[in-house]
Amino acid sequence: MPRGLSIYAEGNSALHRAHPFTKGTLTLVAIAIGFIAPSLAWVIAVAVILLGLLTLADVIRRFVPVALGILLPITLLLLIVQGFANPANRTVFFPLGPLSLYREGLAVALLAAARIFCLISATFLLSFTTRPADLAEAMMQRGLSPRFGYVVQSALQIIPQSLESAARIRDAQRARGLETEGSLLLRARAYLPLLLPLVLSSLVATQERAMALEVRGFGLSVHRYRRVVLPDTGVQRALRWFLVALVPLAIGARFAGWR
Amino acid sequence: MTAALTMRGVRYRYPDTTDYVLDGIDIVVQPGEWLGVVGATNAGKSTFCYAAMGLATEFFHGRLIGEIEVLGTEVRRQTVIERSTRVGMLFQNPFTQVSGARERVDDEVAFGPENHGLEPALVKARVAEALQQVGLSELRDRHPLDLSGGQLQRLALASLLAMHPELLLLDEPTSQLDPGGTKELFEALSRLHAAGVTIVMVEQKLEAVAELCDRVVALAQGRILADGTPARVFNDAAVQQQVGAPIYVRLAESVGLPSPWPTTFETAVRAFNA
Ligand SMILES: Nc1ncnc2c1ncn2[C@@H]1O[C@H](COP(=O)(O)OP(=O)(O)O)[C@@H](O)[C@H]1O
Ligand SMILES: [Mg+2]
Repeated sequence: MPRGLSIYAEGNSALHRAHPFTKGTLTLVAIAIGFIAPSLAWVIAVAVILLGLLTLADVIRRFVPVALGILLPITLLLLIVQGFANPANRTVFFPLGPLSLYREGLAVALLAAARIFCLISATFLLSFTTRPADLAEAMMQRGLSPRFGYVVQSALQIIPQSLESAARIRDAQRARGLETEGSLLLRARAYLPLLLPLVLSSLVATQERAMALEVRGFGLSVHRYRRVVLPDTGVQRALRWFLVALVPLAIGARFAGWR
Repeated sequence: MTAALTMRGVRYRYPDTTDYVLDGIDIVVQPGEWLGVVGATNAGKSTFCYAAMGLATEFFHGRLIGEIEVLGTEVRRQTVIERSTRVGMLFQNPFTQVSGARERVDDEVAFGPENHGLEPALVKARVAEALQQVGLSELRDRHPLDLSGGQLQRLALASLLAMHPELLLLDEPTSQLDPGGTKELFEALSRLHAAGVTIVMVEQKLEAVAELCDRVVALAQGRILADGTPARVFNDAAVQQQVGAPIYVRLAESVGLPSPWPTTFETAVRAFNA
């Protein structure tokens, strides 16, 4: 079971097994192409590919709440704002008296929404199928400093734990009869004694954690053996180069009049 | 034989302060000893451990006077990280000692040896051995943050043991544990002591100190108030007044038994039966 902020979903699909860099490249390239592609049809093509990959990785069900919770409101907001108020609006699409929805604005909104869809679904595709620890490990194996790798790996676990302890302190204050609801002034006063132990304990905790890491040899610049072997294949390397090559190609095509 | 820890005329103060928190400490800890360090809050017990680990100078950057030798090496001639293969330090809070970078108990234990560049086969053997020593072998595939406080503290201990330390510095290792967790940690430490590891343990549970330790040092205001066997130290009037003593001492005293009063369960039973 992954813990903390990690949303990794256990699985054994081709995407789960792929090298973290392959998935990272795929994500970045999909986002880039989504924004470079000139027309809605192309952006939707990228989105469909991403949806296919989410299905292939068997995480599409976990993507639905993301789509409904994040993407739907953004899309609606874009459609309303652009449809009513885009300066290029000329052609009435849906007459609503003086405040009609216009075709030009709706087209702009749809393109923007489709691009955001690509951005978010590509990011979640990576997060659902890749352990943060594996991504950091892959980066360290390519020369990223272990200190930076550690920050990536630990932040996702330790931040939620600290928030949990903040919640515990709040509960303890409430148990002592400290009112945390009420007028603004009352609330501000109530939060003062709440913040102090929190700040102190987090300060002490980071100091003790820093020492505890040091007595375990963290920060030593010796040759580290690879912690896990992250399988990589020639096919995946070729795929990564192919994906990367698509970006300049798309930029070139766009300058050459790609519609 | 080189001593495990030697302090000669040690005085220490934290940066931007004027008071010496350690104020003239002289002590020699022999290899294989289990030393208990007791004292009231702010007596300087944690600082004593930081000084021995080299954290007082390297991490806190305070002013150290006098000499500290750890396993034959002057403390300032080695970094904490270099020392960490031979000296382990356990802190109070089990949670702050989890690296947070590993998702399995065995991977967490491997963190230290891997940082030191040990080869994978050796790391694996060390991890299995360390988990065995603290009785966590069964939980090796669990997530560290799913463990109880007591299990987490034993995990922190295993993480040190995987580096094969000769000297362990323990700063109130049971203060945040429940009775069950405390008992399990003490049992693990007893096995290490039997295997010859030198242990310096700051501990508030005086009954446990009297029961487990070969020798006790009582600190007060950065000075050594008493140093000797638990029976002797806890019968010292100044220690009883400033630090306290195991409950048996107070019991024996209150029913009017002649001193020296018993400090352990066994001796108390005998004294009360006589
Ligand atoms: N980082 C620090 N900076 C300044 N003073 C400190 C620091 N840490 C501890 N002290 C002071 O040093 C004294 C001894 O503290 P400590 O060694 O933690 O005692 P103990 O562990 O016995 O409770 C206390 O008076 C404390 O306030
Ligand atoms: Mg202390």
